[in-house]
Amino acid sequence: MGQNTRATREYPATAAPSDTAQRTSPERTAPRRKSPLAGYLLRRLGMSILLLFGVTLVTFTLANLVPGNPIVAALGEGAASNPATVAAYIEKHGLDQPLPVQYLNYLVNLFQGDMGVSLRTGQPVASDLAKAVPATIEVAIGAIIVSLAVGVALGALAAYRRGKMSDQVVRVVSLLGLSIPTFWMALVAFNIFFLQLGIAPGSGRLSPILAPPPTVTGLYTVDALLAGQWVTFMDAMAHLMLPVFVLSLFTIGLLTRFVRTSVLEVLDADYIRAGRAKGLSGPRMLFGYTLRGASLPILTIVGLAFGSLLSGTVLVEAVFAWPGLGSYAYNSATSLDLPGVMGVGLVVGVIYLGINFAVDILYGVLDPRVRLA
Amino acid sequence: MRTKIRYVATAIGLSASLVLVGCAATAPEGGSGSAPSSIVIDTAFTLETGDPGRNYVPTGYMVSKALYETLLDFAGSDESTPVPGLASYEQNDDATVFTFTLADGRVFSDGTPITADDVVFSLNRVKGMTESKANFLMEGIEVTKVDDKTVELSTATPSLKLPALMTNPSLAILNSKLVIENGGTTDNSDKAETFLNSTSAGSGPYILDSLDFESQVVLTENEKYNGAEDIDFTRVVIRSVSESATQKMNLEGGDSQVAVDLSGDQVAGLGDGVNVFSTPSAQTIFLLLNQSADVAGVTANPEFASAVRYALDYPALLELAGAGSEQATGVIPPSFLGALTDGVEQDLAASKAALAASGYAGETITLEYPNDYPVGGVSFTPLAERVQSQLADAGITVELAPAPFTTQIDEYVNGREAFSIWFWGPDYADSANFLPFAAGAKVGLRAGWTAEQDPAVVELAAAAENATSMDEREGAFSAFASALQEQGPFVPLIVPGSNIATADYIDGVAYNSTWTMDIAELQSK
Repeated sequence: MGQNTRATREYPATAAPSDTAQRTSPERTAPRRKSPLAGYLLRRLGMSILLLFGVTLVTFTLANLVPGNPIVAALGEGAASNPATVAAYIEKHGLDQPLPVQYLNYLVNLFQGDMGVSLRTGQPVASDLAKAVPATIEVAIGAIIVSLAVGVALGALAAYRRGKMSDQVVRVVSLLGLSIPTFWMALVAFNIFFLQLGIAPGSGRLSPILAPPPTVTGLYTVDALLAGQWVTFMDAMAHLMLPVFVLSLFTIGLLTRFVRTSVLEVLDADYIRAGRAKGLSGPRMLFGYTLRGASLPILTIVGLAFGSLLSGTVLVEAVFAWPGLGSYAYNSATSLDLPGVMGVGLVVGVIYLGINFAVDILYGVLDPRVRLA
Repeated sequence: MRTKIRYVATAIGLSASLVLVGCAATAPEGGSGSAPSSIVIDTAFTLETGDPGRNYVPTGYMVSKALYETLLDFAGSDESTPVPGLASYEQNDDATVFTFTLADGRVFSDGTPITADDVVFSLNRVKGMTESKANFLMEGIEVTKVDDKTVELSTATPSLKLPALMTNPSLAILNSKLVIENGGTTDNSDKAETFLNSTSAGSGPYILDSLDFESQVVLTENEKYNGAEDIDFTRVVIRSVSESATQKMNLEGGDSQVAVDLSGDQVAGLGDGVNVFSTPSAQTIFLLLNQSADVAGVTANPEFASAVRYALDYPALLELAGAGSEQATGVIPPSFLGALTDGVEQDLAASKAALAASGYAGETITLEYPNDYPVGGVSFTPLAERVQSQLADAGITVELAPAPFTTQIDEYVNGREAFSIWFWGPDYADSANFLPFAAGAKVGLRAGWTAEQDPAVVELAAAAENATSMDEREGAFSAFASALQEQGPFVPLIVPGSNIATADYIDGVAYNSTWTMDIAELQSK
């Protein structure tokens, strides 16, 4: 991150020497070579697949190292005392096989899109996750959009007004966002905005009076729009408000601090001074030069924050009765539902790898030197 | 300047959108879900299947009870005597043959008449599905069709618990034709669960509209229902709300009308506009003192158990449990046949004498308990801490060893815990549920208490199990409970309360130890 920032200071993306070099290079007239970006992406893809394999191995091993008996946890005391029920259960779930065989079976099934059957819900894990993941994605996307809008604005404001009262206020606000426990904030926000003020709806993704829209993406807002159900869309948006607000507080605090630091570094760069000397100011200077120059570290943080939002919403989902990935992970873990736990581990792994992959591509888009590296 | 105006306009537009969305939040179609014909129930979901024959968990029971009917039922919260459901019954003098006669004219939700074939299929299906958690309910019961209206259930030994068993929603009567068409069988090859997860095949006052295991179940009125219930709410939404604080706020804010899982402290803080139905549940929280020397060492003797029993200040422990809770008077909770009327009282002199007789020499005893599994709003950590403090006053040194439920339960069921806090709830509303506490029985063995160690208690349990008349049965269960209270390795502590809170215009809440409450009995005042 620090290296990128230094490089940006010396060679702004809009007028990088490498850009000029590319235009005058003999390579332009030489036979076409394989794109370095494509090679880079292929390498990353191969690495991601290997990492996914590692994720399955780690989650399987950890899930089976946990003390406790999943049969007793799943069947309960009464049924677990019935030998016929226990025998049928073991046979049905293949629990009588040695662990390496169970793992191999898991991998073989995984390649066929079968993530196993949840010991808790009795449903295929893939179908459980197909409902839970979109619920979390919907709230995480909302939170990241709000965080980006507010965090970048506050961070840039604080940097531009460095040392002044507004800078101090923004820093305090961002510190609060980072410090306040999300679970506590969720309860407080629900109490104030729903119970006391009545301007937010109750828990869940939709009001109980409404039926979920026909599933296309699993995102209620998008599916409602696709189905032309405006009331459902508005209701889903309303139910998103509080979870998004609560989840975005931490990310806003994080982003504000990073944006402030990055923008401060860029503001000292020669190309910014040159731009100012030539009369550039206002939004063009902010969005066209300053933020673009500061964008790489911000992008890294946004990627990590988005991954964290997708995989770390357990407590907020509990407060808002949001049937997402966090709730599913918690319920699976507390009931020793090993297929469920492994499914969540795999999905979270895929999410992080996917986000890292996307961030890498965006690096290339934002900074041409990365494409050529 | 123009750019500034554009930004200001965009900001105003975005703000207006948010306000609109906020307005939509407070007034979705029909208000906030409180239309008189519909009701929203918040509960922490324990729901694994829509198939009653495979269900064994509380939310599943509540749903099954609304969708299906059983041969027998209980009236309101009175679980002492089964009353006719789909059928009435007679039994022989030996209590080994029970003849059920179906009520006339009853139909399933598709209009199909209910016959003896449906009863035989439904009960044999549960009996045949050995993988079902409810399978044990049919253990030792033979089902025979007598004619289209009559079915005979027989057992090899006297079984006065059988009528109570037939109230369990897992033994609901299904539309056999419909279920067979969709993969139903009476053995382990049954494939009807997927169908029953989306469509109900019963005769209850409601039919299944939709079922999502993680978020909500929606029930609508069964228009073909011709039973005794007169339902007020034609649409019921049962929502998964795991956080009891959220349940409380949803109820107070009008987003739901019933909250099922509030603790005693939470219902105490509810204001106007809310009704609370607090009653002792059928759960019993108890201390287990292992009687196997291999597991418990020097404390593995009845004298040490007595020392602990008389050292505790039970009213002080009860303070942790809140509304609706009671001191446990024995292993059989108050609402069941044979329950004792009075619990143990603290007697430090008796405790001291028993401790001296036990051979205890100040060793530190480890108290294990699940720390993530409150029962009826009672968290085990503060309870364990108070037990530790009280036992310290009596000269017994205790160290606490909490662990997650899923880790702890394996140690408990395999009898590897020397001293622990656990709980027991009935699978069906009959005192026979508590006979496993006997020496040599399931829970007894978890405490290392073998039949050879206390043959007298084994005999008392057998007498209760095989009683053929209700008077004989009540006496036998009382004797069993008394014997355990005097010499057993269990120290019953608390029967936690069940607190069901509703909007003030709702009446008819009646707690049941199996299905929590009968949704069809909820009425609008």
